[in-house]
Amino acid sequence: MYASLKWLRELCPFDGSAEDVAVALTARGLTVDSVRTVGGDTQLEIDVPPNRPDCLGHRGLARELSAAFGVSLVAARRSPEGAGSPVSDSISVTIDAKDLCGRFTARIVRDVTIARSPAWLAERLEVCGVRSISNVVDISNLVMLETGNPIHFFDLPTVSAARIEVRRATPGERLITLDGQERVLDENMLLVADGKEGVALAGVMGGATTEIGDSTRDVLVEAAWFLPDSIRRTARKTGLATDASHRFERGVDREGVLAAQAMAVELLIELAGGKADTGMVDVYPGRREADSLTLRTSELERLLGYTPDPDSATAALRALGLAPRSTAGATEVTVPTWRVDLTREADLVEEVARHLGYDAIPTTLVGLPDVDTSSRQPDRGEVVRDRLARRGFHEAFGYAMIEPGEDERFVEADLRAPTALTHPIVETMAVLRRSMLPGLLRAVDLNIRRGARDIRLFETGRVFHPRQDDFPLEPLRVGIVWTGAARPPHWSEPTRPVDWFDMVGLIETIVGSAKRLPGATSGHHPGLSAHWETDGRTVAWAGALHPELQDRFDITVWAAEIDLDRLPEPSDRVASYTPLPNLGAVERDIAVVLPPERSWAEVREALLRVKAPVPVGLEAVDRYEGKPLPPGSAAVTVRIRLQPDKTSLTEETIETYRQELIRTLTAGLALEIRG
Amino acid sequence: MQSTLERIEREFDQALASAGTDSRAVDGVRVRYLGRKGEITGLMKQLRELPGDQRREAGQAINKLKQSVQARIEESLAAAEGAARDASLAAGKADISMPSLRPWRGSLHPVTQTRRELERVFRDLGFTIEDGPEVEDDFHNFQALNMPPNHPARDAQDTFYLEDGRVLRTHTSPVQIRTMETRKPPIKMVCPGRVYRRDLDATHLPMFHQLEALVVAENVTMAHLKGTLEALWEGFYGAGIKMRLRPGYFPFVEPGCEYDISCRVCEGSGCRVCKQSGWIELGGAGMVHPAVFEAVGIDANRYSGFAFGLGIDRIAMMRHGIDDLRLLIENDVRFLAQFPDGF
Repeated sequence: MYASLKWLRELCPFDGSAEDVAVALTARGLTVDSVRTVGGDTQLEIDVPPNRPDCLGHRGLARELSAAFGVSLVAARRSPEGAGSPVSDSISVTIDAKDLCGRFTARIVRDVTIARSPAWLAERLEVCGVRSISNVVDISNLVMLETGNPIHFFDLPTVSAARIEVRRATPGERLITLDGQERVLDENMLLVADGKEGVALAGVMGGATTEIGDSTRDVLVEAAWFLPDSIRRTARKTGLATDASHRFERGVDREGVLAAQAMAVELLIELAGGKADTGMVDVYPGRREADSLTLRTSELERLLGYTPDPDSATAALRALGLAPRSTAGATEVTVPTWRVDLTREADLVEEVARHLGYDAIPTTLVGLPDVDTSSRQPDRGEVVRDRLARRGFHEAFGYAMIEPGEDERFVEADLRAPTALTHPIVETMAVLRRSMLPGLLRAVDLNIRRGARDIRLFETGRVFHPRQDDFPLEPLRVGIVWTGAARPPHWSEPTRPVDWFDMVGLIETIVGSAKRLPGATSGHHPGLSAHWETDGRTVAWAGALHPELQDRFDITVWAAEIDLDRLPEPSDRVASYTPLPNLGAVERDIAVVLPPERSWAEVREALLRVKAPVPVGLEAVDRYEGKPLPPGSAAVTVRIRLQPDKTSLTEETIETYRQELIRTLTAGLALEIRG
Repeated sequence: MQSTLERIEREFDQALASAGTDSRAVDGVRVRYLGRKGEITGLMKQLRELPGDQRREAGQAINKLKQSVQARIEESLAAAEGAARDASLAAGKADISMPSLRPWRGSLHPVTQTRRELERVFRDLGFTIEDGPEVEDDFHNFQALNMPPNHPARDAQDTFYLEDGRVLRTHTSPVQIRTMETRKPPIKMVCPGRVYRRDLDATHLPMFHQLEALVVAENVTMAHLKGTLEALWEGFYGAGIKMRLRPGYFPFVEPGCEYDISCRVCEGSGCRVCKQSGWIELGGAGMVHPAVFEAVGIDANRYSGFAFGLGIDRIAMMRHGIDDLRLLIENDVRFLAQFPDGF
């Protein structure tokens, strides 16, 4: 809120400068964000926290300064008695919704003259960021800015049947508010009505039919207390966040209603030439005793870590208007009605602490407990981050929110539809991602547009898989995209673009021994993609983008996603040593022709099933396509490596084994051997 | 005889000199003098024709010459070999200034690096590191943190609501709630993670990273909060950091405060980074509110605790001198590649 330095000084005649005020308020939890000169005054921009509605008025701020500087506050105004007929002859007030309206007071001021405000009033409002409208309207703002209690003026003759009824709106009931908008109300909204219809949306905005106008002569002054929750709900539902609702929803001073009422009446007499009727109507169903709280000295020490000097603690509470009474080891206080934030002993600890300053609190680590920190598993996300970064990939961060449909082709078919945000910032960030890939593809797009060709990005994060009547699953995933070169480009060799085997190798450094199977998601190229399974669950998907999705890029994009939560627990087993063989290994090559529909995997599996004389290793060391082979066929050279352990192998044993392998390929798999 | 030897020696000197370090020429000289038909070999053959007394004397002289010639030829051959090797090495010389073939160097996001550095300091201080869901229910994100429905403090946290009534967590505080629900004090934890607020402008992203710390035990005080904050920032930035608390309001702490550290850029004298104040606001802190303890079933009369939070993104930006928030989420590889991390 914006405050006027002059005004604060009138309410609490301290000597300090604007700078002193800014330092004092900030040190007390009311941060002064800026100080600037406006006309002949100084404007302070104060960040008032939501628990301090009392400081949404100059009197509340002055009260803090009074405590800070030890200067007494100027006494509040007393309400003029008035003359003539009693107010209650001209207006009746009933509160129907006593749970939502704790107090409603009314006074009447007659024969006012609507005019421009005097210069001092207009200036004061300007410093506070409020535009001057007319003397009467300005008075209502001035009262709110001084007392923190919003008030409302009605043009008395327009109030039908001389009655005010505070009630819940009926569903569908309509009210045209001061801003000219017609509002459709519901039964949870509190309405100030006259004998006929609603005349104000209570605590939020007045109605158009009873608005103060140039011809207004008699004014009905409302000062009231409304239930904060109710005002907040109404303000949010109608989208009407007003200066009044801002204060009511935080909680105004129910006793301070009278001071606001008094100030309004006095100024209507003084500045608009009005005459007050006698007395007031005060309906107060929410009246209650002031709260008492006890602050134990031991609690001060238990929370602050030191024992403040008892006299200064008491002085702090007194300065804040809490009327402290000392008993053995404790202080009892009465909570002033304007301090709606003080409900517990801990609140009083803060009052003492902030008055004495947080610098008075000692600084220590002594006495802090030790907890068991040994049980943590290594975090898979962290392990994967390091692994990919070491292989030349850059870590990206993407939004969890994506465009509806953007992940459709990268998720498993049985997933539920993504969770939608009720109020997205933009339509391209409207649902929660179920895959890491849409965000990474956006990044690829951006980088290509900025001229990059070699793009290697990964992101580790959570995706959101909705479940019926439950929290979504949030598996930890890593998404990977790769375009451009397969290796760091160098002048000594032609640059080779990333291919299938590069991508698969990368994935398998992470998924380890999971089984590689053909095909990934519908967003991947059906012939250039694979998924990996462990224990019957898919743990990873990888491949080139499907040509339909590839179109948007002018370079082949390889994309993969790994579900880190589905990977087996990282092994913490210490590797054990196998003695090195004394004998040299024996190698034999066999070249086999694979027609297009046959795979290396079946060759390998079949060969490994043949009983070997000693431990054997198999590797494909060459793959040839072209003449004289038929199109699509490839000759794959298999290198068999036999590792004798105790005795050397005889040439005969080796040859017998080799012949058995060849028989397996030719007779068993019906494949042709070359060379 | 003597004159013959002198002549041969003189001629040999000339021949060897002209052969230089050409190994073939040197070998030619060897053949000419020491070969089967060489001049010195020929002299040895003539010895037989000399009288006995002269023969012995001349033999010794020829032998001496032969040994000297042999030694000098070997010397020249070695020199020739060395020269040839040098020449061939010179021919095989690489231009060592050409670009080398270096493995790719990837990078970790500056936010990750800063998070890890903060976690390192917290581990050293004996904290556990906890995690929790990013989609939360109203209870864990608000109510248990002393923000009942319609609480005005909810305004400050422009929440993303989901169609099922849940929310994207607006802070990492629900992880504190979940930890306190499942674990008995003493608790000493931090929870780093992504949080979401409905805000997008030059200084706000709708997704950012927070880290919050919580300590709950008997006799935990605000003095411990100050001690921990000081140890954290000294551990992160090094000694000489100044810190201050200011009263501040957060519904889940009482007493509550905000904490600042002295500006790292200007050392407190005022600059653009600290908006001339000499101080950098880092976050909120305070003693755990009794209502929070009540919500999670911890006896507030027996236990006390403190909590504080910080924004990882902002600290990462200050740490690396990043002046545009959007860079953190754009994923431009030219930006990301600037942050290789120690491998």
